[in-house]
Amino acid sequence: MPPHREDLGFLRKLEQESELWLKEGMILPEQRKRILARYRLLKKADEKAGPGKLITTLSILGSILVGVGVILFIASNWSGIPNWGRLSIVFFSLLISYGLGFYLRYEAKNYPKVGASLILLGSLIFGAGMFLIAQIYHITVHYPNGPLLWGLFVLPLAYLLRFRSLLSLALLVLLIWLGMEAHLQTSHHSYLQSVTMVPLFCVAGIALWGIGLMHRDWRSLRAISSPYIFIGTLITFFAGFVLTFDLYALGFEPDFPLIFYAGIVVLFLAGMILRCYPEGKEKGWIPETLGLVILMAIVIYLSMASPNISPMRARAGLRLFLNALFGLEIFGLIILGFIRRYSIYVNVGLLFFALDVVARYFDLFWELLPRSLFFIAGGLLLLFGGILLERKRRRILASFNIKEADE
Amino acid sequence: MRKTFVFFVLLQVVLLIGIIAYRQYWVATGERILLKTTPVDPRDIFRGDYVSLRYEISSLNLDELAVKQSFKGNEKVYVILQKNPDGTFAAKSVSKEPPTGKKFIQGRALYEILSSKWEIVLKDDSENLHRLKPQWFSSFKQGDRVLFCLDERGNILAVHQESAGYKPECRGGQPLSGIVEEIKEKKFRSLNVEYGIENYFVEEGKGMAIESSRNARELRVEVSLRSDGKGIITGLFVNGKLVK
Repeated sequence: MPPHREDLGFLRKLEQESELWLKEGMILPEQRKRILARYRLLKKADEKAGPGKLITTLSILGSILVGVGVILFIASNWSGIPNWGRLSIVFFSLLISYGLGFYLRYEAKNYPKVGASLILLGSLIFGAGMFLIAQIYHITVHYPNGPLLWGLFVLPLAYLLRFRSLLSLALLVLLIWLGMEAHLQTSHHSYLQSVTMVPLFCVAGIALWGIGLMHRDWRSLRAISSPYIFIGTLITFFAGFVLTFDLYALGFEPDFPLIFYAGIVVLFLAGMILRCYPEGKEKGWIPETLGLVILMAIVIYLSMASPNISPMRARAGLRLFLNALFGLEIFGLIILGFIRRYSIYVNVGLLFFALDVVARYFDLFWELLPRSLFFIAGGLLLLFGGILLERKRRRILASFNIKEADE
Repeated sequence: MRKTFVFFVLLQVVLLIGIIAYRQYWVATGERILLKTTPVDPRDIFRGDYVSLRYEISSLNLDELAVKQSFKGNEKVYVILQKNPDGTFAAKSVSKEPPTGKKFIQGRALYEILSSKWEIVLKDDSENLHRLKPQWFSSFKQGDRVLFCLDERGNILAVHQESAGYKPECRGGQPLSGIVEEIKEKKFRSLNVEYGIENYFVEEGKGMAIESSRNARELRVEVSLRSDGKGIITGLFVNGKLVK
């Protein structure tokens, strides 16, 4: 098997590790040389042209810049270009970037990374085209069908090509659609008057996360599981974090259309059922799946059963419960990350742990301590917290390597 | 894979062409009507590269139209239209069912509220009396010293309270300040409706001119109506001239 093209981190580690093996007498100098020679070409390319990740990053940034440029060109020459001219620019650049991207990646195969970025550019131009048409016909900008169609039509390409970039684009655009559509369907006129969006996005985040786990367990879909899991965990935890504050004076939307929850739950449960099929699952998958199902049920129940909690005591009780729940989620995520050696979980868990500590410090102690003491204590807490988290993180990540070596 | 890739890309192209064809068909076959615009609250003016439009039919006086029904937010409504002598259309009635045999435009109810019509008498510094009809006046009382900013046609652009320590100025329009002599408030049921024709996209920098004529009530919008009453903007007229 040829060495993996992009794994330069592996090469660096291999050099260090193989030196250790040599010292421990596990391999001979000749063997080490032969092992390293296998990856030498990669290193040369790396030294001369920069690492593969850099190329990917540059091409993706390039695509986004060109996409923005096309939109700005059309926008700033509004009256100079007739409608058909503006539309031709969109169609022409759309087809060129898709076509050239496909050719470079799959036919000529000489610039696969640039090709992939050109395909991403095509998808960006597709979305821009949709908004341009909306502008030409003066369709209201807040019209949510635009992002919905954009996301739905990019999704098949993401699956066909197994592109994480396209999948991330589609998921983000669909989340924007969800927010716009839900806002349109509710009678409130200000996001700030209601917390309805928070549990809705929490539920959507859990669903994405669950669907991502299903992708991770199905070998053929594993390559595109990380955008689901990463975006899903971040949204779930961010929404969970927001719910730990005292928001309930604002109240949930009493007439919130349940169709959103129904749709999300169906997708999520389908993902969870499909997750049960493949063999050879990761450790802790049963508590993980059950945890997600229970969490989703709790959030949906709370948002439906408690539209307006008026007595202060009931509100305090709910807040305490949501704080405990959030703590439990963080704890569970870090534990799972630890047993599974999955760094996304550990990092997301520790990030929200730190945010939660800071937020509760401000909530609970702001009134109780004199100002100067408050700042000194806060500063010390942050410093020690930082040291503690850093050490913990290092120990956990290091233990991944040790465990791997043990097995 | 190549074939599937081409298929998915073509799907995207077909979708875009489909949207264009649908809108173009609507523009070509719909019935054209003209609507009058009304000033928008000056704090909510020109944002980015589009002009927010408000029409006389955006806010319906249910009492004046003799409509007894009440409407919920987000409900579909059909506003029956009637031609004015100047060629524009005004609301004659509003219902939840599509009317038959009448010209109507479809919209979405935003909210129904109890609004107020104000008529106030202002005594200026040379003791002259002015009768004014501001759209909002609830935060002022008799005896207050206020400043009105008026455009050249006498429409009210803004109202500010004056005090010994605070002398506001008009950012646009003519100032008229004085003491409030009399306030008359008449309450009525008002329904705010959105028709999906509230934004007009323009080239960057062109919005301000359209904004000011919108606030001076010289702006007419041409709308193409489909048979189900949905409208699409097909033109903008400032002083009877088509804006490109």
